[in-house]
Amino acid sequence: MKSTPAVELPTAGVYHFLRQTEHEKSRLHLRIDQDGSGLLIINASRVFQLNPTAAAMTYLALNELPQDQASRQLHKQFNAPKAEIAKDYASIQEQLNSLVFDQSCPICDLDLETTMPFSSRPSAPYRMDLALTYRCNNACAHCYNARPRSHPELSTEDWFTILDKLWEIGIPHIVFTGGEPTLRDDLPDLIRHAERNGQITGINTNGRKLKDKDYLQQLIDAGLDHVQITFESHLPEIHDLMVCQQGAWQETLAGLKNVLDSRLYVMTNTTMLTHNKAAIPETLEFLGDLGLKTVGLNALIYSGRGANVGTGLSEKELEPILVSAKEITSKHKQRLIWYTPTQYCNFDPVKLGLGVKGCTAALYNMCIEPDGAVIPCQSYYKPVGNFLKSSWEEIWNHDLCISLRERHDLPQKCNDCSLLSECGGGCPLAAKVM
Amino acid sequence: MRFLRYACVFLILIMLAGNVSPVFAQDYRFQVPEQAVVVYVNTDGSINIDYTMTFTNDSGAHAIDIVDIGLPNYEYELRNITAEIDGVSITRITNSDVVSPGISLYLNDNEIPAGGTGTVHAYIQNVKDVIYPATQTESEDYASLLFSPNWYDSAYCHGNTDYQVTILLPADVQDGEARYYVPENWPSSDAPESRITDENRIYYTWVSDQADSYTQYYFGASFPSRYLAEGAVVQEAYVPPSSTGNNGVNFNLDNLCPFIFCIGFLGFFGLIIYSATIGAKKRKMKYLPPKISLEGHGVKRGLTSVEAAVLMEQPMDKVFTMILFGLLKKNAAEVLNQDPLDIKKSDPLPADLYGYETDFLAAFSEKASAPRRKLLQTMMVNLIKSVGEKMKGFSRKETIVFYEDIMKRAWTQVEAAATPEVKAQVYEEVMDWTMLDKKYEDRTQNVFSGPIIVPAPSWWWRYDPTFARPVVSTSSVRPTISAPSGSSGGHTVSMPTLPGSAFAASVVGSVSNFSSKVMGGLSGFTGGVTKVTNPPPPPSTYRSSGGGGGGGGHSCACACACAGCACACAGGGR
Repeated sequence: MKSTPAVELPTAGVYHFLRQTEHEKSRLHLRIDQDGSGLLIINASRVFQLNPTAAAMTYLALNELPQDQASRQLHKQFNAPKAEIAKDYASIQEQLNSLVFDQSCPICDLDLETTMPFSSRPSAPYRMDLALTYRCNNACAHCYNARPRSHPELSTEDWFTILDKLWEIGIPHIVFTGGEPTLRDDLPDLIRHAERNGQITGINTNGRKLKDKDYLQQLIDAGLDHVQITFESHLPEIHDLMVCQQGAWQETLAGLKNVLDSRLYVMTNTTMLTHNKAAIPETLEFLGDLGLKTVGLNALIYSGRGANVGTGLSEKELEPILVSAKEITSKHKQRLIWYTPTQYCNFDPVKLGLGVKGCTAALYNMCIEPDGAVIPCQSYYKPVGNFLKSSWEEIWNHDLCISLRERHDLPQKCNDCSLLSECGGGCPLAAKVM
Repeated sequence: MRFLRYACVFLILIMLAGNVSPVFAQDYRFQVPEQAVVVYVNTDGSINIDYTMTFTNDSGAHAIDIVDIGLPNYEYELRNITAEIDGVSITRITNSDVVSPGISLYLNDNEIPAGGTGTVHAYIQNVKDVIYPATQTESEDYASLLFSPNWYDSAYCHGNTDYQVTILLPADVQDGEARYYVPENWPSSDAPESRITDENRIYYTWVSDQADSYTQYYFGASFPSRYLAEGAVVQEAYVPPSSTGNNGVNFNLDNLCPFIFCIGFLGFFGLIIYSATIGAKKRKMKYLPPKISLEGHGVKRGLTSVEAAVLMEQPMDKVFTMILFGLLKKNAAEVLNQDPLDIKKSDPLPADLYGYETDFLAAFSEKASAPRRKLLQTMMVNLIKSVGEKMKGFSRKETIVFYEDIMKRAWTQVEAAATPEVKAQVYEEVMDWTMLDKKYEDRTQNVFSGPIIVPAPSWWWRYDPTFARPVVSTSSVRPTISAPSGSSGGHTVSMPTLPGSAFAASVVGSVSNFSSKVMGGLSGFTGGVTKVTNPPPPPSTYRSSGGGGGGGGHSCACACACAGCACACAGGGR
């Protein structure tokens, strides 16, 4: 974390703040860009854009500078009457308190201005997925991984360097993935290193190794923040069939229960295929009864084995399943996260109240492979550079990244569509296969 | 002794002067030795703007790191804009915080250093809603473009510019048909060079080596509207977009340090005072009110025209009229008497009524005016709240633009109709949307002006009891017009007619009738609604969350509006 005297206005970089009450912990990241504008990211899940004035005020407010001092500092920097600055600063403080502690809805309660979806042009993604290894103790038939399991892997020190560079760039959220990240012995060390930087860490896992409570505790002690566990069905035979590993369900369920007993934020993710689609409602009921507060669903990712597995559902088949999913999760007071970008002409998540979903590859998230190659997302296996060798500018402004961010090369029908801003043309990988 | 004292003071001053290093202003200061602008007029009424600007940065000046370009309006999309600096692609282009409407081009590693030169090229495609009806008298309708190229504040920009402005008209405009406007503030010849391209496009070019880039110039041209597509010409009166800031290079006024030199005792202190006051003020950054924003759902589609009217904050009397007309069209009600307004609901009612329509009919079941007014106020409060609920997570601004676009296209359909009969038919079909126009009455008058006799909407007799009902005929006699809503099976409907102006006046009258006779005055009625929908804000309170540390579901559906939460595609969001 940058060490900056609290009274000075911030320079470009990322700043980490922890706000904790007796019952709640909030982790805040304030990223300031070269032009003074900023991003406020709350618990790696809510992102707000700040113009330069708001960014400066937010910095001072999060540093808990008393109002009169902050106003004086701001008045030295900005050409405006003191009274106006003081009034605006007080308003920002109030909004921040509401956003951070009240969990107020920024739209309903605070009436914040909304911009079009996917219209932001950050200088770096909000999240970087680190595929530490492509080794895995499952063998899912639909796995999106397009590399061999023996893909070269970086050393612990290299990953430390990557984490440090990611922090310097201003990326506050790290998700360790793979393959299966728990197969890396140094996972606790990597988590600890990232957390010490100020980054929020999560893992995407099949959960099997988490059946070992001691191992789970190591991850917790290292500072791990959240876990996503792949859970394909409440029926062991279906889950094991999909992951191609007999006995996997038992271990995954044991891991899930251990995490639920801990203080970690946990969610499951289920890939909807022909194997498990009929049982999805019961699976969600099962997870609801377990006490899981957040569940994720996604469609087949058309990459790796997924490109040819043939068990994916068409976009038009998704709606009835998701309507049912909404009802069930609502009944259990769960949050349902629908992951997959689809073409809205086939499946419109906004109409179902699932939120705007579009491809965010090379925009809000990217991925680093086990050998340091950077790919636009976990499933898009076209490197745009190597994180240890290329500059961030080269990577972020690679033609492929720009093409994905700016929605170039969309199907012809998309270009005249009034829903283009929200839809974005669906998943580019699916479009290639379809 | 006195001499010694003065000598000491003088000596101190000399020593101080010697310690004051000449400090050059780290402000923006540059010249634009060359600027070329080409404006392409597209047949859909949009324009493409091509800027090529060469900047020469002054020695000691702040590096040019961001170039802001003002645009005619907000009707553009960032993804239609490309730019380069010295041939290198500019990858970061955003809406400008400094000039609005406008864009910021971030030069990043290719910023133009002090003393350096760089050429910026920007190509902005599809800026819409810039062609207006020409006001000069011509033998037919003319379309007009008035364009003012980007200019910079003279505090930062100086020197002459080799300046070239070209306006390229749509293809096939004939030589004798095209017009140019005499430029304003232009230092060289008013008459442009005029040529025609290989694609048969006339263009006007103005050139001057005596121009500069800190003066606002105006150029323009006009040509027959028929060379543009239907609906390409903006029909509303031109209203300049509300803009903020100057057209200028984005800057961070930091550490303005005047060049200090000793010019004598008083001069020395005078400069100190300058530095402490005016200089300090200039050191400060330009202040824009703080703004926190987030990505929302985008445009809210699927609103009814009545809901769109509420969103657009149309007057309540018009909203009521729209509801009434909607009910009449659905055959859900009939006006028994216009003054006082007395409505009878149909029995049975159609199944597809909206909640506000049902409430509206319920209000009119109440015959006494005060209770009826109260019920209508309640109906309106519920309608406003319902629209507010539907809009949660969606962008209000973009949604209004979306429905305004629907309204414009509806008018275009009406105006494009070839005959009065077809015009009236289309008018009836799209009346829900044309009524969103704030100048609805004027526009209706214009559409149906003159001694045109038009068939009234098929349901008009339900509004105007004195109006003859349409005659349903099963004979083979060809009717005057076939009305879609009145037709069924083998029957056709003969529509009664009335002068177009009378029809327009009748619609206008219905709105004012609501205002005066039913609502009891617009302001009083509206006040009774807004005190509920927009009450004074409660005192702010702070309370801490009691949520568990393990995290969990969000209670507000708007949380999912956060498109930027990066929880896409199995990414393991939080």
